Amino acid sequence: MLAKWKLREVIVLSVLAVVFAVVYLLFLQLGTVLFGLFGLIGYDMIFGIWFIVSIIAAYIIRKPGAAFLSETVAATVEVMLGNAVGPQLIISGMIQGLGAEAVFAATKWKNYSTWVLMAAGMGSSVFSFAWGFYVSGFAALSPGYVTAMFFVRLVSGALLAGLLGKYLSEGLAKTGALSSFPLGKEHKRNVTV
Amino acid sequence: MSLHEVNPSIKAFAVVISILILSLFFDPITPLLTIIWAVSITFIFGRISFKKWILLFAPFLFIAIIYVWSTMLFPRLHAGDSVIWKWGFLTLTAEGFQRGVSLGLRVLSFATLSIMFTLTTKPTDFLLSLMQQCKLPPKLAYGIMAGYRFLPLIKEEFQTLQNAHRVRGVARARTIPEKVKQIKRYVIPLLAGAIRKAERTALAMESKGFTGDKNRIFYREITVSRIDWLFFTLMIGAVLLSTFISWKLGYLQFYNGEL
Amino acid sequence: MLPFEQISAERLEFSYEDRKIFTDLTFSIGKNQSVLLLGPSGSGKSTLAFCLNRLYPEAVDGVLKGSISYEGQSLEAFKAGELNQKIGIVFQDPESQFCMLTVEEEVAFGLENFHIPREQMELKIDRALELVGLQNDKKTTIHTLSGGQKQKLALACVLALEPEVIILDEPTANLDPVSSSELVETIALIKNERPFTLIVIEHKLDDWVELIDTCLVLDSNGSLLFEGTPAQCFGEFASFLKKEGIWLPKVVEAALTAKIAGMYRGERLPLLKSELLAGLDYSFDFSKKISKTLAIKEPILEVKGIHARGHLKNINLTIHKGEQVALVGSNGAGKTTLSKCLAGLIPVTQGEIQFLGVPLSKWKEKDLFQKLGYVFQNPEHQFITDSVFEEIAFGLEHRASALSILEKIGLEKHANAHPFALSQGQKRRLSVATMLVHEQELLILDEPTFGQDANTAHEIMEILEEKSGAVMMITHDMELVDQYADTVHVLDAGELIFSGTPESLWENEEIVNRARLKLPFRKQLQDEFVRREIHVAT
Repeated sequence: MLAKWKLREVIVLSVLAVVFAVVYLLFLQLGTVLFGLFGLIGYDMIFGIWFIVSIIAAYIIRKPGAAFLSETVAATVEVMLGNAVGPQLIISGMIQGLGAEAVFAATKWKNYSTWVLMAAGMGSSVFSFAWGFYVSGFAALSPGYVTAMFFVRLVSGALLAGLLGKYLSEGLAKTGALSSFPLGKEHKRNVTV
Repeated sequence: MSLHEVNPSIKAFAVVISILILSLFFDPITPLLTIIWAVSITFIFGRISFKKWILLFAPFLFIAIIYVWSTMLFPRLHAGDSVIWKWGFLTLTAEGFQRGVSLGLRVLSFATLSIMFTLTTKPTDFLLSLMQQCKLPPKLAYGIMAGYRFLPLIKEEFQTLQNAHRVRGVARARTIPEKVKQIKRYVIPLLAGAIRKAERTALAMESKGFTGDKNRIFYREITVSRIDWLFFTLMIGAVLLSTFISWKLGYLQFYNGEL
Repeated sequence: MLPFEQISAERLEFSYEDRKIFTDLTFSIGKNQSVLLLGPSGSGKSTLAFCLNRLYPEAVDGVLKGSISYEGQSLEAFKAGELNQKIGIVFQDPESQFCMLTVEEEVAFGLENFHIPREQMELKIDRALELVGLQNDKKTTIHTLSGGQKQKLALACVLALEPEVIILDEPTANLDPVSSSELVETIALIKNERPFTLIVIEHKLDDWVELIDTCLVLDSNGSLLFEGTPAQCFGEFASFLKKEGIWLPKVVEAALTAKIAGMYRGERLPLLKSELLAGLDYSFDFSKKISKTLAIKEPILEVKGIHARGHLKNINLTIHKGEQVALVGSNGAGKTTLSKCLAGLIPVTQGEIQFLGVPLSKWKEKDLFQKLGYVFQNPEHQFITDSVFEEIAFGLEHRASALSILEKIGLEKHANAHPFALSQGQKRRLSVATMLVHEQELLILDEPTFGQDANTAHEIMEILEEKSGAVMMITHDMELVDQYADTVHVLDAGELIFSGTPESLWENEEIVNRARLKLPFRKQLQDEFVRREIHVAT
């Protein structure tokens, strides 16, 4: 998969992952607060933020694997940072990344419209929820509550990962920093036309 | 033997497998025994300062307490559960309580295993080991390393941005749209700077002849020895032993995902 | 013409995104030559350098036409990465050319890429670190090194591979003057010991002049303007180069000015200070232009015995209305910390700062920053909106007046552009302008001319000169201090060791040495002139 990637793209992906690994850890604290206020579902409200790097990396780089790799690397960096959940987080990251990647794969990595980005965020929600169901033992909760958690997470994935990811990427394109990436080039064309 | 010397990949593998095994079961005893085991080896073979450890452990303790709280507030009620306490819409059953405690201990068992890994593994060693033992492509591994190097820089930039925004007189964000704007105000300059630096780093790496070639002679070889596999066996053995004791005590329960 | 052509380029042309970076370049470089690659910014110097070791065009989606050969062999005949062992490169930015965490790992990274047997690595690493004087930092984390040390490490990484050619792409652009000179000295020493071909791209030429034997000059369109010796290049074409926007060595610049004024007798412009002095008329006046004297000394900021976080010790100083103040000192002396304390961005642990008669701690933040501005080293940090216009209009009562401010700083055409998409110089001007909209009484600037070209530096100083309030500027540039400052404060290891006029600082040799400062060129010349006079007289 990596053979077709330029080193430049790999490192930019990795840097995106590093920045968002830090953001993720900050949100873990916010999540814990919401958790304290609303119980488990508090986490699901902001769960989408933890998929955002998939959306941003895929939207900027537009290569097969961008969503999966960025989320996996972000998780690895969280582990390397030392204050995260430990090596199994890498598996969570991979699964979340796969969720988004699956949606991009369904478009053959060609379509990066708003709807696809939101769907990719939701894809991560679905995959991560299934995994969380197994590892975190949601089965101990009442079915109604679990269903509510699922839908909250789905919406969060669409909004906080899909929409916010698109919004941030486009803000970034405006700065000219993405001039050598597909999104930056697209932006430039739109400005000059 | 020191935990610091155990091969990082094998250590990570042992932790992940232990967690996967623990996920299979759902009872208070198995995770409790695992916690005791993990904490003991962390301090005996890892020689970790308690202060460092508790700093990482405390948030998980908080999460565990909330977990217990959540399962007690929103329990999966079964006919025949014995009610211990009832107040308004709150109902506490013996079974619900046990499930809550199981869930909480489960979180803590994952945490103690993870902290053992985190506190005894150097990031560079982990990546070198992933390349040397797990065949992680060097392109990705060195990409991660290069990105990881940016962290202190990004931290400094973040602080500078905070100050710069104060000087510009940016008011504190209160509403949600304001907050989103504020995130953007921080994230975009950080990312724009980081991306440009990343492109320069890539060029610098290529200028030193880096091609992503998988045949690499490593300056620092991360080895695998019998001790590593002994460690692995001990770790898995300990978790299995915990489940066995739990089963003997009559607590062991498979975790069934059905609702 | 050359004893042995190591690198030769023929009809090179590079284009990127339909824009030609350079065209029709034909030149050759001989073994062990020292080449200075000159040209105005944007003339494609770096691009050319990256093409020479084949980083480009692959790394960007550019198109390279023409041919380059290395020792008679076309570059395309080399395997990927192979050429990088022969041609090493040190980049401009010390922060972004490493990928490992510690010094030894970083040097090893290059060796690993070329499959050097493990048992040889250690020796090669030690030798390379010794050459640049980093042998005691083998296990040090790269992040904790100073900028100058980082550049030396970058050089060590290249040297460890024992290359035949080393390209330096503005290696001193982000270093202070003393570290820059040290790096150049190091390179000169190594080149003596172990010959290699050197290709240097540089703006600040003074330290390099003696090392260089060939100049290659590109013009703003990326065509080859000149190829020859430095003596010829600067001696005969100086005024032409200046017109093209190319920096000149200070000696050449001074001689050119003197010559235009009819005070330089030499036929050719000189390269060395001694040559310059020999050719100068005796009536040449070395003194500084008289700085404006402040009629009324009304204090606006008073610092009384402050300490901060172990960095600063018992600092006392006063800034007066309309005063131009410079804050100087070596890296790590506490300049930025002090400046941030003065702006209330870092708390003081002891002592008091009064601004406009009110203790800093009593000010409301919003009111304070209407009266006191702070310009950060990196202009991008200060931008908070999506457009240049919004940046100025932010916080203004009459948004329309933003346009007139934009006109003043020459950015009216870019009103709708994203601040980040501006050029370096434009960003700098904009960031200074955002701090002037409220007519602040005091403006603090952290190295505003750092990494800027000569034109931008002057433009910024012009904007500041027009301003009515007081200015305090952190800088490494002693020419700037000499030209613009009324008062200069010198920090060393957290202590204020000097406050006074620039002229009195230059006379104080002890302070100048202790703070690792360099005398301004004017003063250097003057001293040498006086020394000569004495010599002649006796």
